[in-house]
Amino acid sequence: MQIFPRKLNLLPLVLGAAVFIAGGAVTFGVWYYFSPKNLQVGYAPQQPVPYSHRLHAGELGMDCRYCHANAERSYEAMVPPTQTCMGCHNIVRTDSARLEPVRQSWQTNDPIPWTRVHKLPDHVFFDHSVHLAAAVGCVTCHGRIDQMDVVRQDQPLSMAWCLDCHRDPGPNLRPRTETTNMQWQPDEAWTAHLDERVAALNPPTHCSGCHR
Amino acid sequence: MNDHEKTLPEPRVWRSLDELHSDGPRDMRTDHEKTPGALLETHSLLGRRGFIQYTGATAAALGMSACIRRPVEQIMPYSRAPEYQVPGVPLHYATAVSHRGDAIGVLATQHDGRPTKLEGNPDHTGSRGALGLLQQQAIWDLYDPDRARVPAHREGDSLLDSSFEAFDEAFGALIATHAANAGRGLRVLTRGTTSPSFMRLREAAKARLPQLRFHTWDSVNEANVLAGAHLAYGQQLGTVVDYGASRVVLAIDSDFLGTEPGALRAARAFGPTRAIERPDQEMSRLYVVESTFSVTGGAADHRLRLAPSQIEGYLRALARTLQSKGGFDLGAIAPAIIAAPLDAFSAHSAWLNTVADDLLAHRGTAPVVLGSGHAPALHALVHAINVALGNVGRSVKYFAPVDAAATDPVADLKALVADIGSGAVQTVIVLGANPVYDAPADVDVRAAFGHEGLTLVHLSSHREETSELATWHVPEAHFLETWGDHRAIDGTVSPQQPLVAPLWGGRAPIELLARLAGEANWRSHYVVQQTFRSRFPAPGSFGREWRRTLHRGVVAGTGGVPVQPPLIQAPAIATALAQAGETAAEGIELVFLPDSRLFDGRYANNIWALELPDPMTKIVWDNAALMSPATAARLSVRNNDVMRVSVGDASIEIPAFVLPGHADDTFTLHLGWGRPSAGRYGAGKGFDLRPLRSSAHMHHVAGATVAKAGRTYNVVHTQEHGSMEGRPLALDATLEAWRADPRFAQFRSVDPTEGPLWQRQDYSTGHQWGMTIDLGSCTGCNACVIACQAENNIPVVGKAEVARGRQMSWMRIDRYFVGDENDPRVALSPVACQQCEEAPCENVCPVTATSHSPEGLNDMAYNRCVGTRYCANNCPYKVRRFNYLSWHEYLDGDPELIGGVPTLTPTYGNMPETRKMQYNPNVTVRMRGVMEKCSYCVQRIEAAKIATRRDDRDMRDGDIVTACQQTCPTGAISFGDLNDPRSNVARKVRLDRGYHLLAELGVHPRTTFLARIRNANPAMGTPAAAASEEAEG
Repeated sequence: MQIFPRKLNLLPLVLGAAVFIAGGAVTFGVWYYFSPKNLQVGYAPQQPVPYSHRLHAGELGMDCRYCHANAERSYEAMVPPTQTCMGCHNIVRTDSARLEPVRQSWQTNDPIPWTRVHKLPDHVFFDHSVHLAAAVGCVTCHGRIDQMDVVRQDQPLSMAWCLDCHRDPGPNLRPRTETTNMQWQPDEAWTAHLDERVAALNPPTHCSGCHR
Repeated sequence: MNDHEKTLPEPRVWRSLDELHSDGPRDMRTDHEKTPGALLETHSLLGRRGFIQYTGATAAALGMSACIRRPVEQIMPYSRAPEYQVPGVPLHYATAVSHRGDAIGVLATQHDGRPTKLEGNPDHTGSRGALGLLQQQAIWDLYDPDRARVPAHREGDSLLDSSFEAFDEAFGALIATHAANAGRGLRVLTRGTTSPSFMRLREAAKARLPQLRFHTWDSVNEANVLAGAHLAYGQQLGTVVDYGASRVVLAIDSDFLGTEPGALRAARAFGPTRAIERPDQEMSRLYVVESTFSVTGGAADHRLRLAPSQIEGYLRALARTLQSKGGFDLGAIAPAIIAAPLDAFSAHSAWLNTVADDLLAHRGTAPVVLGSGHAPALHALVHAINVALGNVGRSVKYFAPVDAAATDPVADLKALVADIGSGAVQTVIVLGANPVYDAPADVDVRAAFGHEGLTLVHLSSHREETSELATWHVPEAHFLETWGDHRAIDGTVSPQQPLVAPLWGGRAPIELLARLAGEANWRSHYVVQQTFRSRFPAPGSFGREWRRTLHRGVVAGTGGVPVQPPLIQAPAIATALAQAGETAAEGIELVFLPDSRLFDGRYANNIWALELPDPMTKIVWDNAALMSPATAARLSVRNNDVMRVSVGDASIEIPAFVLPGHADDTFTLHLGWGRPSAGRYGAGKGFDLRPLRSSAHMHHVAGATVAKAGRTYNVVHTQEHGSMEGRPLALDATLEAWRADPRFAQFRSVDPTEGPLWQRQDYSTGHQWGMTIDLGSCTGCNACVIACQAENNIPVVGKAEVARGRQMSWMRIDRYFVGDENDPRVALSPVACQQCEEAPCENVCPVTATSHSPEGLNDMAYNRCVGTRYCANNCPYKVRRFNYLSWHEYLDGDPELIGGVPTLTPTYGNMPETRKMQYNPNVTVRMRGVMEKCSYCVQRIEAAKIATRRDDRDMRDGDIVTACQQTCPTGAISFGDLNDPRSNVARKVRLDRGYHLLAELGVHPRTTFLARIRNANPAMGTPAAAASEEAEG
């Protein structure tokens, strides 16, 4: 007696295919959507002070290094001390309500608790100074900060993304004088000598270059 | 090959007596390793059920974490940024410490406000850039979680936490009381000092309170040395032997490269005289006569072991022998030593005649040095011998005393105790000393300090044994927290500059002293500035000169100028020699020595020190009664048998440990252990010797009786760890043999004729890092091991885990005995990762966690490591270390320490916050389950490369200094670019005594060892060689 129809014989095959496809979809989903490109890029937490890079760096045209003064000296670019803010803001907009946390910090000597946007794992030893010495522009990793009211992560900052540039740094290099220029575009005079620069640079691609 | 083997008979090389007496390779596994699954069982909090629970919880936690975007992290910039502080860029400050009456210049590194590492200050005349083991480990003490944090006041039987305000008020009242009675009944007990400020304030306090009396106490002190110089010359003098200018050195019971005063200065000068680069160069020769086996004995060309009671006889007999030779005259001393018996040394006649000839042949450059444990009369005799040999002014120099008011600590402490007993004392202020723990047994400090009506103020870093009796206990600030100054034995003055404000408050000894002296501003900064203003005036502005001094770390124009000693007081020495004279007694002789790691016990809670293997015995976490194999056989004791050692009525129990090469019928006992109140890590570790040490016998005592206590105690040592199973590893040869066969080392350790199966990488371009370790000047002092530990965030694992072979130090110093078990010589080899060009570890890693850099480094990517341990298994040098557990917090999770059930916290939750502050931020703190090993200080390499990029310049030799190289007192380690033909390391690699460890494996290590050359005196005969041939036959 035939209880099940004949076509049910296909069931194991269909099930197998379904599991394969579903498994593949899950794997792809995790591989793609759980990657830093998806999880990290676009992160734009609210900051304790609604500081606008668009205003300061964009409209007012302040150089990045006015505040991030150690970018060329230290591994940390440094979020500036309250002192730097107060350098201008004890003259400019002294009664703005949005600057209240800054004045608070200045009076109490307590730090302003900024939320970190660009975070690398603890076992990565990234150094701002050497990247600026090699003349990689700020915009390469941080995006058009001068157009952001709220700072947001622009690039994945994943190991593969780092290595892409370490293996082929040419497209991301620029003259040392232009590192903080957000709008710089390579011209022919620059591209003509790029290969020499790249050869002299030879960025590390071995483990201890970044992991120590 | 065969010819070379013939010319170089190979004596047997062994690491422990068990290895020597075993036939085949031993099963080195511990019981735990033989039992499958022992790892989980031993860590009882993680049984099978626990494992499943945690696995479930972890899986759940992982699922959760995917939903959370990221842990939100905050950036806390300064409100007002301190000047000079660039976040992320370490700062270095010159400061100084004192040790055994000498000052040592320190360059301290500070990362974002946290001092993390101490190095030597190259501008300092004494240490010249090196740092010893004790100074290296001192950084840990700053972060010791058991340091006292607030003053404590006695209420009834207990000490209750109080406050600095309350203490200041009470102390002010106390001083006011004594100011009213001119200091009657007020005593101050201090440690020996080198501080000009301390001495200035001491005089000021005496002037203000005329009846105030100062006492000194140090259980390890230099009193005999100072008294000997005083006896010899009739005035106080500091003695400095210039080993750099010495051709022949005779060290009599003097561990001058290890624990004696001025050891760092000595090692710095002595090292280069041993590291000659060509066979035709002149090399110094070292004779050592000693009872224990010290690192100096290990460095000796000829070594004679004698019981301490024979050492005096030897010195007298040597003096007599010298006197009997032509052209040597001890003058009025001669009659006193003419009766010295020679027959006791008939078996060692070469040690009198040949040594005397050698000394006389090198007049002026042949210093004789005597250990600080011997009587002043003998020291005076040694001064007389040095005068007669013409050494004074050339290899022996004298300087004005560091502290002209220094007294004999034993007599001083006795006087204090007697005065307290007679009721003449109302107040005792103890600055730093801990006499309740370390006073001689016959001086009952405990009873004295408990005297009815006595007010005891104790200043110390911890609430320790003495504090328990105190009326007030005040936390002492660490030397990195407070201002001070130190005068080196050659007169160089260094400021002691703090790097941080006291973590929890704390006072310096000079601050309490300044209050006694009635200074209105008693802060150490002001006090030290006042001293410098008055004592070291400089032309021009004080402020500018002060800043310059702080920058250099030394006061310009001080020090380095020896004084011409007066004529030797021969009659006085003769009288003293006639009165002195130790009578040998039946029984065992005991030698008390400061421990190389804990010193007198002040480092007893320092976990780095506790887990550091002793340089000779390789014992960790304990001390033991060291004895010779013959004595052990006579007493029929073996390692770990607990002995009852008695002197008169007093006795202690301590396990036995056999040290080949030790003098017979003598036990060596190391001080500083067995402190009941050391702190959470050190309390009760090891065995306290106090009952055996009496004021008459502080250094050695004869006539001890010993008996087996009938139980055993597990002494853990690392001497059999990482054994290389009898292959030729630490190579040496006599100077003659080297001259005959300059490339002997390479013939013993030969590259294979066939290359690897794959194509070799091309290392001919770019930087290629390499290291050389000169076994000629290495003394095995362990400073590099601690420097590495501080630099690279290396955890300690505790005694039980060391017993399982799991200690983590990236650098180990293998100590081999060579030849006869009763009188062996020592061969050392410091082994860290050899950075093989064809690294066997890399081939077997399934996840490429360890791979090669184009600069020849064997990189370790911790976050890739999955912990298969294949690499460690495949490493021929056994230098890879595995994090079986979360070692950093492991000790703090110990139920005995935290008084309860430990929690399994992978986030270092058990670990005291302060200990985290010591970590080097440039090195990953490794977690459980990953492999680690020496990286050639890759963080320093990368930092230097980044600096050259930043400054647009080429790398120079010396830009990169590894932690071990920086601290090495003898300069045995070189590091640099092998492709830079001008680099120091490239030159040394090509020296003909260079060889690679296990070169025959073809792994092409980047570390090159330079074989040790022993400047043996042919006239001495070669008993060691003869004995070893015997052993082989």
